[in-house]
Order: sequence, then structure tokens, then C-alpha cells
Amino acid sequence: MRALAGYPTRVLALTVLTLMVGTVFGRGQSPAGKRAAAAAAAAPAHAKVVDLIPASLSGETNQDSEPFLAVQTANPQVMVASAFTPNPISNTGNAPLYVSEDAGNTWVLNAITPVPRMTCDITHAISIGENHPRGDLHAGTLACAASVTLDESESDDVSSSAVMNVQSSRTNVDQPFVRALAFSNADHIYVGLNDLGQSSGRTATVDVSLDGGASYKSYSIESRKTMGQDGPSVRPAIAPDNTVYAAFFGWRKFNGSMATSDVVVVRDDAGATGSHPFQALKDPSDKLPGRLVVKRVSIPWSNAPTLGQERIGSTLSIVVDPNNSSTVYVGWADRGRKGDIYTLHVRRSTDRGVTWSKSDLPHTTISNATNIALAVANNGTAGLLYQQLSGGRWVTHVVQSRDAFATIQDTVLATVPADRPVGQFLPYLGDYDYLLSVGNEFRGVFCANNTPDRANFPQGVTYQRAADFNTRTLTDGSGNPVAISIDPFYFSVAVMP
Amino acid sequence: MNTSRFFLAGILWISLLAPGALPQATNNQAALVKQSSITFVGTVSQVAATSFAGVPKSPQTIVVRVDSVLKKPAAVSLKKGDTVTVEVKDPAAFHDGTQATFYTEGWIFGSGVAVKELGHDTAPSGGTPGAAETGEKTVGQAQSEISDQDLQRLLATCDYVVVGRITDVHPWAIPKSAASRYRTSEHSANWQEAVLQVQSVLKGPKLKKNKMVVRFPLSRDVAWVSAPKFEPGQQGIFILQKDEVSGAPTSSAGGYKADVYTCLKPGDWLPMTEEARVRSLLKNR
Repeated sequence: MRALAGYPTRVLALTVLTLMVGTVFGRGQSPAGKRAAAAAAAAPAHAKVVDLIPASLSGETNQDSEPFLAVQTANPQVMVASAFTPNPISNTGNAPLYVSEDAGNTWVLNAITPVPRMTCDITHAISIGENHPRGDLHAGTLACAASVTLDESESDDVSSSAVMNVQSSRTNVDQPFVRALAFSNADHIYVGLNDLGQSSGRTATVDVSLDGGASYKSYSIESRKTMGQDGPSVRPAIAPDNTVYAAFFGWRKFNGSMATSDVVVVRDDAGATGSHPFQALKDPSDKLPGRLVVKRVSIPWSNAPTLGQERIGSTLSIVVDPNNSSTVYVGWADRGRKGDIYTLHVRRSTDRGVTWSKSDLPHTTISNATNIALAVANNGTAGLLYQQLSGGRWVTHVVQSRDAFATIQDTVLATVPADRPVGQFLPYLGDYDYLLSVGNEFRGVFCANNTPDRANFPQGVTYQRAADFNTRTLTDGSGNPVAISIDPFYFSVAVMP
Repeated sequence: MNTSRFFLAGILWISLLAPGALPQATNNQAALVKQSSITFVGTVSQVAATSFAGVPKSPQTIVVRVDSVLKKPAAVSLKKGDTVTVEVKDPAAFHDGTQATFYTEGWIFGSGVAVKELGHDTAPSGGTPGAAETGEKTVGQAQSEISDQDLQRLLATCDYVVVGRITDVHPWAIPKSAASRYRTSEHSANWQEAVLQVQSVLKGPKLKKNKMVVRFPLSRDVAWVSAPKFEPGQQGIFILQKDEVSGAPTSSAGGYKADVYTCLKPGDWLPMTEEARVRSLLKNR
């Protein structure tokens, strides 16, 4: 309630500040800047983009890549975001999260994850089953200081200083991907992960908790023979009617640089509460659980800069229509067209995953792109977030469609130089970004070069950290210049009516 | 550089210039300096209040106007005139106008800074801005890549601290016994083995031979980017743990079967310029 009570004041203050900043920065712009400003002014004002780095960390130069976002559905003013952001003051302090209580206008960094210094992979979701005003945040975090360890943890209040409570821990897993669903007065939590400890080689797994994280059960969702393991990305998607889908890469062959993979979707109609969950969908070719959306596609694997400064090998997204769980979209990247490094695809099913579009939906075969994230709004509008390497720039798009992408509205959120800054580590932008729907908004997060140049952000942008858009330089808050780096950006885009 | 030495010098300056403050410049104070990540002199402007949105207000939170900054990480924006929220241990010790040196650790970073008190010292009461500024300048130049506190932790939990030189680096061939744990992941470490010629042992049992094998990840993945990487000829101070990570804790890389060590955390390798500080911290454990 505190956030709601203060909200009008903060919105007013932010509006005034934005006007002041716009006025100040509008002076003395270069001709290119003026052209960009004019172009931005002509575009419909339906997007908000905010650099998450707070003013008090204006001196930071970290590669804050691989963002994720969770929204408190009962009070969407409250959001939590994450990235590869280290604890700003200590090598041994807890890794932080970004918290907003005003719908993303301002963010603070709060060091409450259970992981020392900096998380590796982290995803999270806020559910409402346990009725905590600024929680319940359920997170899956990898700690990578010595070995790769997954903590499945919870916070009842993301604004408190209490470190998240670790409810379950396990080693030798990859890419935890957390979804949560309020069910009666408990939270159901679904964590997709690649369980590299599975001796059978069927490593695509969903950890399921039906009691708010107090206990978890692991289910392998791969029913076929693999080359020794599945691909890293295992993505659950949940609908309010308790339908749970999960998508994964069933790796059939792998030579170190190329995986021959099926894109597989499983489904459970009862929230994985039964004794043999995720077996509702069977493929007609072999009658085994798991519908093969596409078979034996070639997916390049490179743990080195390959798409610009980014690595490639496992980008995957699945989403279900919240009001019609029969409609489900899946998107992934593979070798695709000749000459492309990495090509995105999106397919759709309208019969609960039994049959799928035979080819990519229109406008969704996208060259040299990665970090696909799908969402569906309450009115059925589909959203597609991706980042494309184009003309030496990383261009972040959010695309909307009411008709399975036959007609689209494409909004460019950012277009930034791809060769700067030089990467500090991999992934450069992240192995994923994220998009979700809240009421009449698509909200999401992406990472990009943080040069304060309005031409780089066609929808406009707000920086919390000290930045001079006239000289296109960052400062440390005392006037000293700060090198550019990769920052996480929050955005909100109005859903097409 | 020796951070603690400069801090103590700064504090001594403050103590000398602030009458009546000398008795409080104790060992306890020196420990606080080492322990704190943000240290500043400030004046309380509000009690039971916070300085920016996003910080939970409580009877323990006070707002302090910064008079001078003695210590802070480079990434943190904090300067004279800023206001800081401090969660204090004993609110009764503070009222509007109280001036103190605050030894703190970071808490929440937003439009401002919120910190938690580790300790405080009312030495500057009466106002000695000249002394505070001297402290800021001196200490500001003394920032180190790794704090004494973090380094102390590394030294306390390691198996060996040695001075030495890398003589050889080669990829580690994963033995069959450990192969089952190595699957394809973007977090794959790409393990390498370095042969370390030991010149002196600063902590740990005496070595039978003056060689050790250090396994390290070459991967640029986020999981391993902070782990020190080694090249032949590289000299320095190595803070080593017995290998509990790679799955095969012995090697014959040095020409004989030997235990393998790892060196994975930031600060586990330090240049020779840090030798005196390491020796001092080991001596004062």
C-alpha cells in the first residue's frame, strides 16, 4: 500500500523531471540528434524505456547483462528485475536485485539473493497465493563461484533487507527458469532446468512445488533418447486454468559446434499435481509424450562471440494465452536460412499443442537475431521481443499482433552500436531477456549499450544514473566521466487495442 | 596499496586535530575501518526518517548529511552535501545535529544511498572540516582492488598462500573417472592446468617439492570470468584451495602425482606489490 499511496506524487515528480530533462537535453543537440528527436516526437507515445542503474551507482561500469523481470500481479506497481549485476560494495556480499514500487519509473538495488557477489543465471516470478504485499518472489539462482549450484528461494518482501530464504538446493544444473501460479492459498512453482546430473541423458527437467517452495519434485520431461543430454533451455508456461506447458530442445546429435535438435512441447492439464505429469501431449510419430513441433533442426552452438559479440546456442520461448489455454506459441532459433548465423522462428497451436502451424508464422522468420521472448495479453494480442544484429547495431524490437503475426506493429526500443563496449564476459547481452503482459501493457527487460544518445532509443528513454545527453557521456555524479557499459533497460509498451 | 594503513593515518589526523577525540582512536576503530565499505563524516538531519523512496522507514533509520567521504567503492556516487539513510544500531545515540564518523556497509542503492551502521565515532563533534577533508583525500587515493576485509576472508579459508611463478600452462584432459560430470553447458569451465614453481610458502604445510599444480577455468562465461587466469612466467601471490570442483583432485602434470589446487575467487591471485599487505594480514590474523 505504501507504493500505491506515494504513486501520484512520484508520477508527478517524474513527469516534471522528464519535462525538465527533455528541455535541457533538447538544447544544443547535433543535427542527427535533432532529427532523431523529431522522429521520436512523430512516433506514437506508447512506450516507456528506463535504464535500471540507480543514480547512486552512476560510477559503475559492469556488464549488467541477461535481464529478467517479475511483476506482482495483485499490485503491478511492484516489480523485481535482475541482471549480472555484482554487489556494488563487496566481493562477499549478497548478489542484488532491482526493485521498483512505482511501475518501473524508479528502481533501487537491494542485495537480497542468497548468492554471494553476483548470480549466474537467475529468473524469478511473483505470485499472489500467499498474499504478501511485496512478495512472494520465487527465484531460481545459480551460484557459480566454485561450482554451479541452484538455489530455489523465496522472499516475502522484496523491499526488506532480509536475504531470500533458500528452500531447495541442487548442483550440476543449468538455466533455471521460474514460473509461479497462485493456486488457492498456495503458490505452485515450476522451474524448468537442464539437469546435467541425469544419468539417463534425458536432462530436460521441470522442478515442481505445489506448496510455495517448501518441497520440490523433479520430473524429467524428455521421453526420447538423446545424444547424452538435452539443450540448456527448458521453459515452462502456465495458464490460470492450471494448464502447464513446457518447451525444450531434444538434442539428438551434437558435434561440439552443431546440435541436431527437436523442438519439443509437453503439457499437463492439472498443474502437474498427478503422479505422471507432463504426459498429456503425445507425438503421432512415436506415441511418446512430448509433441515434436519441428524435427531435427540444426542449432549452432558457440560459446564464443559469434553473433556480434554474443554467443549462441539456446534461445527458446513458450507462452500460453491466459484466457484460452488452447492457444500456445513457441519460438526458437536455429541455423535457418543459408548465410544466416542464427534465425528466429515462431509457431502456434490452437488445439492445446496437438497440431502446430506447418511453417513459421508470417513475419517471424527473423535473421541474425536472438533472445526471443513471447507473451500474450489479456485481449489475445501476441507480443514478441527479440534482439537483432543489423547494420553493426543491436536492435531491440517488440512486435505485436492480433492475427498470429499476419499483420504486425513493430516497435524499436533501442538501436545501439554492437561493437561497443567490448565484452567483459559471455553472454554479452544475455542468453535471454523477458517479456510479459500486465493489463493493457507489455512489460519487459533487455540489455544494451548505455551511451546516453537519444538517437539510440527511438521511443525515448529515462536514465536514473547521471548522464549528459548533450555530450553523450555518463558521469559518476560528481562530473567525472564514466566509460560506457552494458545496462539493463525496463520497458513498457501499450498493448494494441 | 595498503588501505588500512592510510585509513589509520587519516583517522590519526582527525584524532589529532579534534581535541578530546584521541582516546577513541582504538583498535576497535581500526577494525571498523577495515570492516566498513562506506565510511563518512556526517551530521544527522532527521531521525526515524529515510532519504529516498524505496528504503523502509523505521525507528532505526536516520538521515545524515554527508560532510566528507572517507571511504567508498568507485561505483558508488556519494559526495559532500548528499544525504544518506543510515540504519543505526541505537537510535537513542542520535539526534538532529549529531555529528559523527559513520562506519557502514551498503544496504540499498537508489536515487540515494542507504547504509547499515557497523559503528560510529563522535570524534568530529565541534566540527573539524579541515581534518575530514584531509582524511577524504588520503583515503580516496588508497582504494585497493580487494579490501582488507575480503582479503582477510580469503586468507582465513584457504589451504595455501604461496609466492611463486607459473612455468607451464596446458589444457586439462578430463579423465574417464570424471567424464560423467562434464556435459555441454554455456557454463563449461574449459579447465587448464598451470604448473606453479613455489618460491615461498606464506601459509600451509611445508611442501615436499617446490611445485604445485593449479587448475583454472579459461572460459569467458560469466560463471568463471572473475577467476584468475594464468600464463607462463606469471608471478605473484597465489591463494589456493584443494580442488573440490573439477572432479579429479590429483594430477601428474608436474611429472609426479600430486594434489591439485584451485584459485577461483577474485583476489585469489595478487601481484607481488601486494606481498607486504598479505604478510601483514597473515601475521595479524
